[in-house]
Amino acid sequence: MASVKLTKVKKVYDNNVVAVHDFDLDIKDKEFVVFVGPSGCGKSTTLRMIAGLEEISDGTVEIDGEVVNDLQPKDRGIAMVFQNYALYPHMTVYDNIAFSLRLQKVPEDVIYEKVTNAAEILGITEYLMRKPRALSGGQRQRVAIGRAMVRNSKVFLMDEPLSNLDAKLRNQMRAEIILLRQKLNTTFIYVTHDQTEAMTLADRIVIMKDGFIMQVGTPEECFDMPQNLFVAEFIGAPKMNIIRTELGKDGSGYYVKPFGVKIPVDGSKGEALKAKGAATGEILLGVRPEHIQMAHAGDPGAIPVTLEVNEMMGSELHLHVFTEDGTRVIVRIPTIDLEPGEREKLVAGYKMYITFQGKVMHFFNAETEKNLLTD
Amino acid sequence: MNRYSDLEYLRLSRGQKFAYNFTSFFAGIPQALKNAGIGIGRFFQRIALAIGGEFADLYKTFRDGDWKTKSSYLVMGLGSIARGQVLRGLLFLLFELVFIVYMVLPQGGIFWLSKLDNLGDSGPHKEMVMQYGQSVETFVAGDNSFRILLYGVLTLFFIVAFIFTWRLNIKQNKIAEGILKSGKPLRSGKDDLRSLVDDQFHKTLLALPLTGILVFTVLPIFFMVLVAFTNYDAEHDGLNNLFTWVGLTNFNTMFNWTAGGKSYSAAFGEILTWTLIWAFFATFTNYFLGMLVAMMINKKGIKLKKLWRTVLVLTIAIPQFISLLYVSKMFAKNGLINLSLINLGWIQPGQELPFWEDPTWARITVILINIWIGIPYLMLIATGILMNIPADLYESARIDGANPVQQFTKITLPYMLFITGPYLLTSFTGNMNNFNVIYLLTGGGPTNASISTGGAAVGHTDLLITWLFKITMEGGNKYYMASVVGILVFVVVALISLVVYSLLPSIKNEEDFQ
Amino acid sequence: MSNKNITMEEGQPRLKRSMGQKAANRISNTVIYILLIVISFIWLLPFIFIFLQSFRAELRGPVGYVVPHTWGLDNYQRLLTSNFKKWYLNTFIIALVVAALQTVIVLCMSYTLSRFRFKLRGPLMRFMLILGMFPGMLTMIILYRVLKDLGLTQANAVPGLILVYVASSGMGYYVSKGFFDTIPKSLDEAARVDGATRSQVLTKIILPLAKPIVIYTILTAFMGPWGDFVFARYIAFGTSSGYNVAVGMFDWLSKDQIGQWYTTFCAGGVVVALPVTILFMCLQKYYVEGVTGGAVKG
Repeated sequence: MASVKLTKVKKVYDNNVVAVHDFDLDIKDKEFVVFVGPSGCGKSTTLRMIAGLEEISDGTVEIDGEVVNDLQPKDRGIAMVFQNYALYPHMTVYDNIAFSLRLQKVPEDVIYEKVTNAAEILGITEYLMRKPRALSGGQRQRVAIGRAMVRNSKVFLMDEPLSNLDAKLRNQMRAEIILLRQKLNTTFIYVTHDQTEAMTLADRIVIMKDGFIMQVGTPEECFDMPQNLFVAEFIGAPKMNIIRTELGKDGSGYYVKPFGVKIPVDGSKGEALKAKGAATGEILLGVRPEHIQMAHAGDPGAIPVTLEVNEMMGSELHLHVFTEDGTRVIVRIPTIDLEPGEREKLVAGYKMYITFQGKVMHFFNAETEKNLLTD
Repeated sequence: MNRYSDLEYLRLSRGQKFAYNFTSFFAGIPQALKNAGIGIGRFFQRIALAIGGEFADLYKTFRDGDWKTKSSYLVMGLGSIARGQVLRGLLFLLFELVFIVYMVLPQGGIFWLSKLDNLGDSGPHKEMVMQYGQSVETFVAGDNSFRILLYGVLTLFFIVAFIFTWRLNIKQNKIAEGILKSGKPLRSGKDDLRSLVDDQFHKTLLALPLTGILVFTVLPIFFMVLVAFTNYDAEHDGLNNLFTWVGLTNFNTMFNWTAGGKSYSAAFGEILTWTLIWAFFATFTNYFLGMLVAMMINKKGIKLKKLWRTVLVLTIAIPQFISLLYVSKMFAKNGLINLSLINLGWIQPGQELPFWEDPTWARITVILINIWIGIPYLMLIATGILMNIPADLYESARIDGANPVQQFTKITLPYMLFITGPYLLTSFTGNMNNFNVIYLLTGGGPTNASISTGGAAVGHTDLLITWLFKITMEGGNKYYMASVVGILVFVVVALISLVVYSLLPSIKNEEDFQ
Repeated sequence: MSNKNITMEEGQPRLKRSMGQKAANRISNTVIYILLIVISFIWLLPFIFIFLQSFRAELRGPVGYVVPHTWGLDNYQRLLTSNFKKWYLNTFIIALVVAALQTVIVLCMSYTLSRFRFKLRGPLMRFMLILGMFPGMLTMIILYRVLKDLGLTQANAVPGLILVYVASSGMGYYVSKGFFDTIPKSLDEAARVDGATRSQVLTKIILPLAKPIVIYTILTAFMGPWGDFVFARYIAFGTSSGYNVAVGMFDWLSKDQIGQWYTTFCAGGVVVALPVTILFMCLQKYYVEGVTGGAVKG
C-alpha cells in the first residue's frame, strides 16, 4: 500500500531519442491509474522506469516517499504483470507463483498457503501442476497475475496485460481485474493502448502522446472535458467528429456555423463560453457520434448529408455520411430510435439530415488544438 | 547520373532497371567511401574530444575536490579509505604498489622498456671478468630479444591498465564525494561484493574470458604485428643471436616486384588469387548444395527424413583429420581409387589419375572433397531456416500461380540469402583461413616451383594461411615474413568484411534479429 | 524450443492437387529417393572403407581393394604396442578438461553479451570481431615460445594445449549468444521483479532453459581437441609422448611410413571416431538445435 510520485522523470535513449519528457504525476495510495496512449507514446517506458527495468535518465521516482532511482527492481516493493506473461517455461504453475517467495526464503508451508490461496481466487487450482506451455492464453494471464499477487507488494504494475487475449476473453478478464483490485486493495499502475480498458478500469487516466502527458483525469473528466484535440479523439469510440468552423457571437449568444448551418450554442456550454469570454473566429468543433441525431428537412440546424456506409452493430448503427462540402461525419444511432421502415432506406446514397445541440459541443483552438473552456 | 523517382523507376523495362541499378551501385561507391572516411574521421574526432573531456574533468575534480579526493591523485584509494570504503581503497592501493614495485624491480618494467629501442645490445658472449685479482674469461648470458619484446609489450599494457585504474580511482572519488554531499550513505565493501553477483554481475562474468583473450590473443597479436618490423627468424632467434628493428624492410621484401622472378609479391599475388577462388567455391558450392539436400530431405512425401539426416550428421561427428587424411590417401597416386581402377582394367599402371599431382586436378579435387565435408553442416542450417519460412508465403505464391521453380527463386532463395547473409560472410572468411582441409588433403601441393620463395616450398593449393604456416616451419623460420603475411590476411579479410557489411542491410541492426 | 521436430509437413501447402500433378510428384519423389541413396553412400563409404580395412591382416599398406582377404585384429594389437595409447590418453584428457572449462567461459561471455547492456558492450563486440580477422595461427609462434619458457611444451604439451584452447575460447561466443537472444528478455525482467539477483536469474531461469546450447557447447568443445592438428603439432613438436591422436597418426601416413602403418591408421581412426560418434549420436538433438537456433543468428 503506497503512493507513487514521479517528479520530472525523463527518459533519453543512447541515440538521443527522448522517450519521456518531464513526467510529473502523484499517484495516491490504493489508486488505480491507467497510462494510455498510442504505441510509442512512452507509457511502457514510464512503467518500466517505475519498475526499475529501465534506467531513469533524469528526475526522481518515489515509492512510499522513498526515492527508488538507484534501487534494483526487487528492492522496490513492486509486482509486475507482463504483456507476454513472462512465465518461466521450465517451472510448473505452482513453482512459477512460488518463485518469488522461495527467493525470499519463505517457509514452504507458508508458500503452500499463499500459492493455493491465490490459485483459488484466480480459479487455476486445477492447473497448479501444469507447465505454462499447456495453458491457454487466459490461464497464463491468471498465473502471471497470481505470481504478482503473492508478493504482497506495495505497487502492482501491469504492462498491457490483456492485449494478447482475444476480444471476448479480454472483456471477461477486464471485469476480473476490477474484482481483483477490490480484493487486493493496493496501488495499481496499468498500461494499455485500449481506451476502453482505460475508461472501465481507471480511477484516473494518464493520456500520453510522444512522451508528453496530454491529460490526467478521471474517466469522466477525460470524456466530458478533453483538454485538447488529441484526448478528444483518443477517448471514445467511434472517435469524435472534428469540424473546422467558425465560432460567432450575436445578440442571443455564441453560435457555430458547421457547413453553413447556424446552430446556437445553448445550455451549459454556452454559459461556459460566455464566462470564459471566448474569442470568436475559426475553431475546431468536436461532436461525438452518439450526440448527433437524425433530423428532418426544415428542422432548425438540420445539416443535409449523404449516406456512404452503414455499419450495423446490433443495438446501434454507425452511419458514415458526408456533407455537401465532402466532409465525412460519423453518426451513431441506437437501432431502437429508428422509425418503422426507416432502417431499410439507410443504404449508400440515401439523402438525410443530421443535427446536434449546443450542450454536446467541444471547442478547440484551431492552432493550439487546446480546449477553449479549459485553457 | 540522373535519379528516377519511384514511379518513374517502375515504368522502366527490365533491362533498364538492371542498367539503372548497376550504374547506381557503382556511382554510389565514391559516396560510400566518402561516408566511411567521414565516419572514421568522426570516430577519431570523438576520441580526441573524449580524451580532452577526461583531462578537463581531471582538472575540475582536482580543483573542486576535498583533501580526500586530491590525495587520491597521488596515492590511489586513499580517498576511498578515508571515506570508509576500505575494501575498494585497499584494492586500489595494492594495485598501485604492485605497479610501482614491478616498474622499479631490477628486471622490472623500466628495465624492459629501456631495452625496447633496439631489443638488446649483445647476445651471449665471453667477457673478461676480474676474479681473485686476475682477469678470467667468463660466459655472459647477454640479452634476450624475445623476452625484451615480450616483456616490453607486457609493460606497455600494464602502464595503460594503470592509467585506466588511476582514472577510475579519481572518478570514484568524485562520485563518492557527490553522494556524501547529497547526504546519502556510500556503498560498503559488503555492498560492493554483493553487487558483483547482481547489478555488476557482468563484470564478474566477463573477468575470466576477457583476461584469457587479452593474454592469449590480444597480446600475441600485438607482439606478432611488431615482429613484422624486426628480423626475427631461426638465425636471429633473440637468444643466440639478437634480433632488432628493421623498419619497413620486410614489407619492402614482400612488395618488391621482380619480373618473372621468385619474389614474395609474385607468390602473394598467386596465392591470394587461389585463396579467393577457393573461398568462393568452397562457400557457395556448400551453400547451394547443402540447401538442395535440405530441400530434398524436407520435401513433403519423402519418408525416412530422420534416417537421411542422421546419415549426413554422422559425418560431422568423425574428427576431420581422420576423414581428410583417409580421403587424401584414397585419391593418391597409389591410393584406393587409382589401384581399383587398375584392378578393374580401366586404366593402365603409369596412367594413374593425377588427383594430387596436376595443379588443376588438385584444385578441383579439394573443392569437391570440401563439399563432402561441408554439406552436412549446411544441410542442418538450411533445414532450420527453411522450416521458419512462413507457410502462407508458399500458399499465397501458389494461388498467385507460381510453379515450384518460381517458388524457390522468388521466395526460398531471397529468404535464405537475407537470413544467412552474415553467415555467408563468416563462412567465406573462415574458408579463406581453412587450414585443416588444405593442409591435411594436399599439404599445399603440388609444388609450384616458379613462385616458391624464401626457402618455403609453395604449392598450387596453398592458401595464405598454409603459406604462413610453411614460412614459419621451413626455410629458416622467417617469422617476420609470416607476420607480414598475417597482417596482409587481416587486411584482406577486413576489406572484404567492410564491403559486404556495407552491402548487407540485415547486419546493421543487431536488435532487429532479436 | 526443445520440442521442435525437424519436419516440414505441417508447414507445407495444403492445396488439392490434380491427378497430373500427383504423377509428376511421384516421379520427382522417386528421383529424390535415388539421389538421397546415392548421397548416403557417398557420405558413408569412406567410413565403411576405414572400418573394413582396419581388420585387414595380410598387407599393411594401401591396396586396390576394400574387403580384407584375411581378417584379423593385428592392427588393433599394434595400436596397443605403439605410442597410440599415450596419444589417446593425452587427447582424452585435453578434450575433457577443455569441454568443462571452455563451456563455462563461452557461456559467461555469450550470456553477458546477450543480456547486459553496459557501456563498453558495443566496442567490445566490435573489437573482438576485428580481432577475429587476424589468423589465429599467427599467435602460435609466440605462444610456443612463452609456453616453452614455462616448460609446457613437448612432453608437457597437454597442460600447455589446454591453456591455449581454453584461454581464447571466449572469442567463440557467437552461436550461444544467438541462442540466448531467442530467450525472451521479459523472463529476466519478471525474475528480477520477483526478487532474483542477476546471478540468480542466470542460475534459476536462463540455464535451465538453455540446456540445448549448454550441451551443444560441451559437445563442440569436447570434439574440437580430437581433430586439432596444427596447434598440437606446433606445441608438441618432435616429442611423441606429447602428441595428440591427430599429430601422432598424421605421421603414419607420411611417405616412408604409410607402407607399414596404413591399416593401423584405419584401426586408430575407428578407435578415435567411435566414442566421439556415439556421444554425438546420443546428443544429436541438441547439436541440431544449437546449429539451427544459434549459428545463423550469431
